[in-house]
Amino acid sequence: MDRKTLDLEGKTIDEAIEKACKEFGLPRERLNIEIVSEGSSGFLGIIGSKKACIRASVMSFDLAMEGDRDNEHEQKIETQPVPQTASDPMEATVADDNGESLAVKAKEVLHGILQRMGLDFPVNIDETHDTINLRIEGDGSGLLIGKGGQTLDALQYIINKATNKNGKERKRIILDTEDYRMRREKTLIALAEKLGQKAKRTRKPVTVNPMNAHDRRIIHLALQDDKQLMTKSRGEGNYRKIIILPAKKN
Amino acid sequence: MKELITYIARALVDHPDEVKVFEVDGGRTSIFELRVSKQDIGKVIGKEGKTAKAMRTIISAAASKLRKNYILEIME
Repeated sequence: MDRKTLDLEGKTIDEAIEKACKEFGLPRERLNIEIVSEGSSGFLGIIGSKKACIRASVMSFDLAMEGDRDNEHEQKIETQPVPQTASDPMEATVADDNGESLAVKAKEVLHGILQRMGLDFPVNIDETHDTINLRIEGDGSGLLIGKGGQTLDALQYIINKATNKNGKERKRIILDTEDYRMRREKTLIALAEKLGQKAKRTRKPVTVNPMNAHDRRIIHLALQDDKQLMTKSRGEGNYRKIIILPAKKN
Repeated sequence: MKELITYIARALVDHPDEVKVFEVDGGRTSIFELRVSKQDIGKVIGKEGKTAKAMRTIISAAASKLRKNYILEIME
């Protein structure tokens, strides 16, 4: 039985994490928690509440450190064959300690790609318990961002795939350059507010252009607290879009 | 450009040694043919072609500096 990763539900994220700790018999710090969906008590209490869902796994850092502490976690950490052409002295020192951490691997792949694109920019790493944030110190040309962030998203997607392909330990990798993510979030919130006003004024649903899950989430969250509005997503895959509805008057 | 494609493909697959890229140079537009191990084809295409699309996006970004068009074909 594979107990490497477990999906758990709870009323809140904290409750789900607590369950995960019991399930693995390990303290919180030893687990990798990935939030699949945040629970909500329902939009304005009109739509039913959603359970929080998390994906938990044992940190493979611990596996490497303690070896076969426990039969279930016996699998060895393999060092992934990352083509190592991008070698700068900084990286080498970090990569040395026991295998390679995901963050180092992610940075290496990103650096390798950038070099071959002829964009040899420095990359900063910032790691939290479930995400790795990579910040490219760009030249401000926006080349790495692309139209609507498509180049940045494509890079982020590829790096996630390449880094997490061996799948024992997984972390979400977030790529950013020139503060694009933050600027984008601000723009989206402004857009959400503008369209929200329109929905209230006209008392009719307003449709937002199709966007990816991350962008939709920002809009949902931006309008979450507005009691006069409701947000829904409609459509499939790339065409999924948000509809902002004026809330029904009770 | 060929190196870039090879590098990305190698990072994604399980059998990096079997990654091969051929360039068909056509002046303004060049075609790259990517071949990977049979088991790895899905890895470079991805769900609904998402990985292939991401690779093409990165290639066009890299190409914009070179003022050239590149087409990426994944060969079976």
